[in-house]
Parts: sequence; C-alpha cells; structure tokens
Amino acid sequence: MSRNEVLVDSEWALAHLDDPKVVFVEVDEDADAYSVNHIRGAVGLNWRVDLQDGLRRDVISKAGLEKLLSEKGISNDDTIVLYGGNNNWFAAYAYWYLKLYGHQDVRLLDGGRKKWELDGLELVSDATVRPATTYVAKEQDRSLRAFRDDVVNAIGVQNLVDVRSPDEYAGRLLAPAHLPQETSQVPGHIPTAASIPWSKAANEDGTFKSDEELKALYEGAGVDLNKDTIAYCRIGERSSHSWFVLRELLGIKNVRNYDGSWTEYGSLIGVPVALGDEPGTA
Amino acid sequence: MSSCGAVVGGVSLDNVDVTTQAVIQGVVTKGGQPANIGYNRLHDRNDEFVAEVPLNSKGEFRFFAGPGDWIVVTLVPGGVVRTQVSAELGKIADLDISVD
Repeated sequence: MSRNEVLVDSEWALAHLDDPKVVFVEVDEDADAYSVNHIRGAVGLNWRVDLQDGLRRDVISKAGLEKLLSEKGISNDDTIVLYGGNNNWFAAYAYWYLKLYGHQDVRLLDGGRKKWELDGLELVSDATVRPATTYVAKEQDRSLRAFRDDVVNAIGVQNLVDVRSPDEYAGRLLAPAHLPQETSQVPGHIPTAASIPWSKAANEDGTFKSDEELKALYEGAGVDLNKDTIAYCRIGERSSHSWFVLRELLGIKNVRNYDGSWTEYGSLIGVPVALGDEPGTA
Repeated sequence: MSSCGAVVGGVSLDNVDVTTQAVIQGVVTKGGQPANIGYNRLHDRNDEFVAEVPLNSKGEFRFFAGPGDWIVVTLVPGGVVRTQVSAELGKIADLDISVD
C-alpha cells in the first residue's frame, strides 16, 4: 500500500463527487452531524447503531455488514471514501472494519470533516439515496484483529502500542478528557506497551503527518517495526487511526487492532497492569 | 458501550456528579458572535494533545479534565487562539474566548 492508494485530499474528493463508482461515507458516533450536513452525495454510517453488534460487544456479522452496505447502495467494486469527525477516528475504525471484511478499495479523506469545515467547503443537508445493491463480504481477516489472549501473550514479546493520551496511559485519567471520568475499569496500561498517542500522528487540522515524520515517531519511541505490533486505546477506534498509520501508510506488516482495548483489558481478572509513565516490565 | 467520541459542544452536565470532575467549559465568540464552526483542543501541561470537541451552535464547549494546568487551543476558520486555564476537582472553570 502507498499513501496515494489509501488517502485522498479535498482536491481529489471534489473532483470525484459525481463519480458513480466512488461512494463517500461519513462515519460518526451519532447521526446528528450527518443529518445536519455532509459532503454532497455522501451516505452516513452511525458507529453506535450500524457498526456495533447491539447484543454482544463485537463487530457486526458478515451477514449484517452485507445487509448494511447493500441498503446503503454500496457495491463490491466501488471505491469507498470514508470521512468523519473526531479527526477521522470513526472513519478509521470503519476503514479497519471494511478491510476486516475484505473490501478492496477503501480510502480516508485526509483531515476528515474538521478540515473540510475549516476550509469552508460545501456541505449539504439533503439526504442521499442510492439504489440498493447486493454486497457480498468476505470472512473476517483475523490477521487484522487482536483478541485479549493475543494481547496477554504479546506482553514483553511483541510491540504493544497504547495510543491513548499520556494521562490515560499513566492512569491519571480513565477516559478522554471530553468525557466524564469513569470508574468501571482500573486505571493504567498493559505492561511493556509504548505510549504513542494517536494525536502525534496527526496535524492540528486532522491531516496525517508525512511518512518520514510517522516512521520517526514510532522508531523514536522504541518500536521495532520488524516485530509484530498490536495497537490499542479504550474501545478500539483511536487505535484504528494508529493501525491505519502503521499498516496502510507505512506498510508495516503484521499490525493488528485490539478493539477490546482498555475497556476490556482494564476489567479482566488476573492480568498484569502497569501504572505511571513508564512501560513497566513483563 | 460508551464511545470515545466527542459530542458537539461537549457532554452535558446533566446526571454528572461534578464534585468528582474538574470541568473546563466556556464560549468562543468571533466578532462578538458565537463561533458555531470551530473546534477546541485541550492540551496538557506539556502541551500534549488530550482531547477535542466541536463547538456547538452557541460556540460552547466542555472538557472533563483532571486537576492541574491545561491549555485550550481554539481552531476556527482563519484563526487559532491559545488560552491557559487551571482546573480543580469539584469546580467548573468557565472561559470566554474571543477570536477576532
């Protein structure tokens, strides 16, 4: 993968707004942002409603994704361009999700909704209706996804990358600072995990830093990019942003996203936990 | 499942026990009017990014920080403003940020 195959800028987006084989998809936590306005022709995905199992804590099934994308009018051979708020966290999560189920051509709009808004580009409120399709997903690609036992076994062996803020890593905060602080999990991080906040990979306007800057970021934090890597955050969407950087922008093989993340790990019985600013030992 | 996402303007204080929180909130204005297109970023004492919320239609924002010193970085079309603030547990730090 190269940057040009997985990332588009606003100039590219504007030139492809009417391309019938390019589908723009806004992904947000709630439907409000999309329903107020969105890029012309974009369809909306609701992270909470569309991309969560609803009963179990899990991604939706293969059949569920097929139904969702078919209803949204997305075909297997379409180029899907994802964008959203929160510096593309949820768009990156949807990117990981679509790759998990094998969609061929998925891209992110660099900077997401924030840069589009700050640049004063057109947003419309008209609902987008696309004719339904018959989308066929592949089986989950497990090489992209880490589960809790994978993470426990990776302590001191593989790269573990904690992409939350430094205060969450150290245990001083239990959630991002735009949310009330919770007490449902213990504070801290997975021992031996490096603290490399997702935000260090992005510029202030939400665009990704250059490949050279990104490589220096991870290597400078002591991550051996020749080893297998698992990224995690609190629920797996900020870590999707870092997974995208490592696997899709830098082309590092064997990078997995732990979507259970700290919400799961910090509630497990009997697993080791580290507190403070240092990684800790295995 | 609680998301990590930031809601426009920040999470409401309804049903939140503020005695356990160190809240930073306020209003951003541009040319005397609420800045309804923009984002506020919270940076920690080392100027490290911590969180970001979009401004709501009234230019409002809210963070749930820890006690200590913080920097609020305001991004609006054509402008960036940095504001230093201290947060305390059980208190609400109110900011009026003008971007002109």
